[in-house]
Amino acid sequence: MSDITLPRNNIKITTGALVCEDSKLRGDITIGKDTIVHPMATIIAESAPIIIGENCLIEEQAKIVYRVPFDRVEDKDNIPPLIIGSFNVFEVGCHVEAAKIGDSNVFESKCFVGNKVSVSNGCTIGAGCQLTNEQELKENIIVYGEKCQMREGLSKPLPQYSQMETLMKILPSYHHIKKPTQKTK
Amino acid sequence: MSAGFLDIDCVKYACTCGLLKTLQQLYFCRYCSELRCTFCVSHEVDSHFCGKCCENLPSAEARVKKNRCVNCFICPSCRQELSTRAASKQPANPEESKATKRTYYLSCLCCRWSSRDIGLPDQTAATGSWPKRESIHSNRIQEIVSMYKGLQEKEKLDKEFFKKKQKEKIISYTDKTGITAAALRKRIGLPEDKPILKPKNAVKIVTPSKADENIDDFDEEVLTKSINLLEITSIDQRLLQPDVQPKEISNIFPIQKILSIKRSLRCRRCEHNVSKPEYNPNSIKFKIQLFAYYHIPEVRIVTVEPLRAGQACELILKFTNPTQHQTTVSFLPFDSPIEVKEAIPEEGAISQEDSLEELDKSSLTPSKKKSSSGTKLMSLVDTHITLTTSRSSARALSPRSIAESINCTVDIPSSTFILPPRDDAAEYDDFNEVHNIQDDKKLVVWRKSNKAYIKLVVTPNEDMPIDTTVTTGFTMSHLYTNTIASVADNKKPQKFNHNMRVILKLGKSVGLN
Ligand SMILES: [Zn+2]
Ligand SMILES: [Zn+2]
Ligand SMILES: [Zn+2]
Ligand SMILES: [Zn+2]
Repeated sequence: MSDITLPRNNIKITTGALVCEDSKLRGDITIGKDTIVHPMATIIAESAPIIIGENCLIEEQAKIVYRVPFDRVEDKDNIPPLIIGSFNVFEVGCHVEAAKIGDSNVFESKCFVGNKVSVSNGCTIGAGCQLTNEQELKENIIVYGEKCQMREGLSKPLPQYSQMETLMKILPSYHHIKKPTQKTK
Repeated sequence: MSAGFLDIDCVKYACTCGLLKTLQQLYFCRYCSELRCTFCVSHEVDSHFCGKCCENLPSAEARVKKNRCVNCFICPSCRQELSTRAASKQPANPEESKATKRTYYLSCLCCRWSSRDIGLPDQTAATGSWPKRESIHSNRIQEIVSMYKGLQEKEKLDKEFFKKKQKEKIISYTDKTGITAAALRKRIGLPEDKPILKPKNAVKIVTPSKADENIDDFDEEVLTKSINLLEITSIDQRLLQPDVQPKEISNIFPIQKILSIKRSLRCRRCEHNVSKPEYNPNSIKFKIQLFAYYHIPEVRIVTVEPLRAGQACELILKFTNPTQHQTTVSFLPFDSPIEVKEAIPEEGAISQEDSLEELDKSSLTPSKKKSSSGTKLMSLVDTHITLTTSRSSARALSPRSIAESINCTVDIPSSTFILPPRDDAAEYDDFNEVHNIQDDKKLVVWRKSNKAYIKLVVTPNEDMPIDTTVTTGFTMSHLYTNTIASVADNKKPQKFNHNMRVILKLGKSVGLN
């Protein structure tokens, strides 16, 4: 990894987002309105910018890494940014390198999603599940269990409004918060 | 069974029955002063309970409920427990009632399956109202079960009838002499014995099932249509509901949780419990818990020099005394006979002891002697059984030979060493280092509180090929203090040497340097 030089830090935080000072943000990252980034969460925009949507919850020890997509190794300079949709939850200790992330997905604790996976909307990747093979998760797919069994859910996971509200209140009283850099449009 | 971090299988102890177990898997019967494993104790079901709601059920009730909890369900998709979720439903007509109705549905926190997935309507009560799905075969199965029960009953009656008839036959010959009970009855004028009637054939035989002549045509779509794996069930899910075996994921149904049991373990010889849990399902404690780990010194391998065929190498073992009593440990050759001490002498105890000693000599020696002593063993077992008390005799198991070949010899040290009692406070006490135990410096390398590091010299067999697992063993003899008799009779605790075989897997042999 030593040969990869990370792009200059360029963090854009929209008003209303809550980003703790102790989080690790590297590269060109845009964080949307009402998104919460816990302390010790890691977001690394290694190959291209990461744009995170609204109402996302990124918990402690969660890792979002955007590496050079496996099919674009030749064409390093023209990589599109990783756009993460809204209402996504990245639970404690998850490691997500997915090349595409839609809306309303839940990445449960300690799961791993490799960079060959693209996640659509409403998917749940269960605790400890390791998805590494090249695949596209269709809408409302739930991955669970030791063997990463899949099933189709009835509906999207519901957004955790009450928890987000509580965190919005509690986190600023115990942690230093990064100042927003952009006004909401 | 247990899979703790202490449960390392390179050191094994030979149970009294001959099976090799780690110390953590063994029990120690304090009345027989013998090692017992799960194979040589009797298992008894103490109570049935539901692991989720912790409800205790008497065994009769549990049987009626088919060993399943009424209120708890497991997920038909992933086997996790389903949790009841409340949902508030707005009434269709807002003026009808202001309060929102609470409804409940089942939901799995693991795979997010819910009772709504199969279109099961939400319930108004949190528990008890979930619809049960009856198997279409349940009536048929019930019929067959009752038929076999009837047959069993009939067979029993027939046997009794046959026995009585046999008796009658004999009587009928003696009847002529005029001195039988029946004849006497006649003479005094008592009513005659009821004639024995052949029991009626009351069993209703179920109509046997017939193979259907009409078979559905082969559905060619099976071969041509691509399958959507998200719609069909996995083998696991299908077999989770053996009565229905749903093919489609839309047909799976919440499954009533199977009850768990608490079991107590009983020594087969003396019928004392070696493990008895507390009755309350919420409690994880035991009333009786005679794990060998609390009574027998623990042996662990510390280091071993590279093992080369025919070359002596140094082996360091750590011995830990778990008891509150000082003990002395000595080593005996692996093949040495193990004598069985009876803690509580009963009538005939001396002869019993002798027979047991013989028994152990013949049966616990390594497998090479097994074939020659096989027949002898059988007869000894018989004598042993007749000598033990009648109620336990039927349950006594004959010991088998140890299924492990020793390919490495140990130089058995002649000296012994002392293990001080366990002292829980010693760990926090830095000044408690002084001990005035006279040790054989060649044997004891280092000691601290109730632990001692012992140096042994082992020699793998001369003809051993490289990369063979080196197995060695010895008989450990330790002074055991039995406190049971002292509590009961106010006597001094009994002390005696308890012997057991320890087998060590030292690792793979290596070539010459
Ligand atoms: Zn046993
Ligand atoms: Zn229950
Ligand atoms: Zn489930
Ligand atoms: Zn016993």
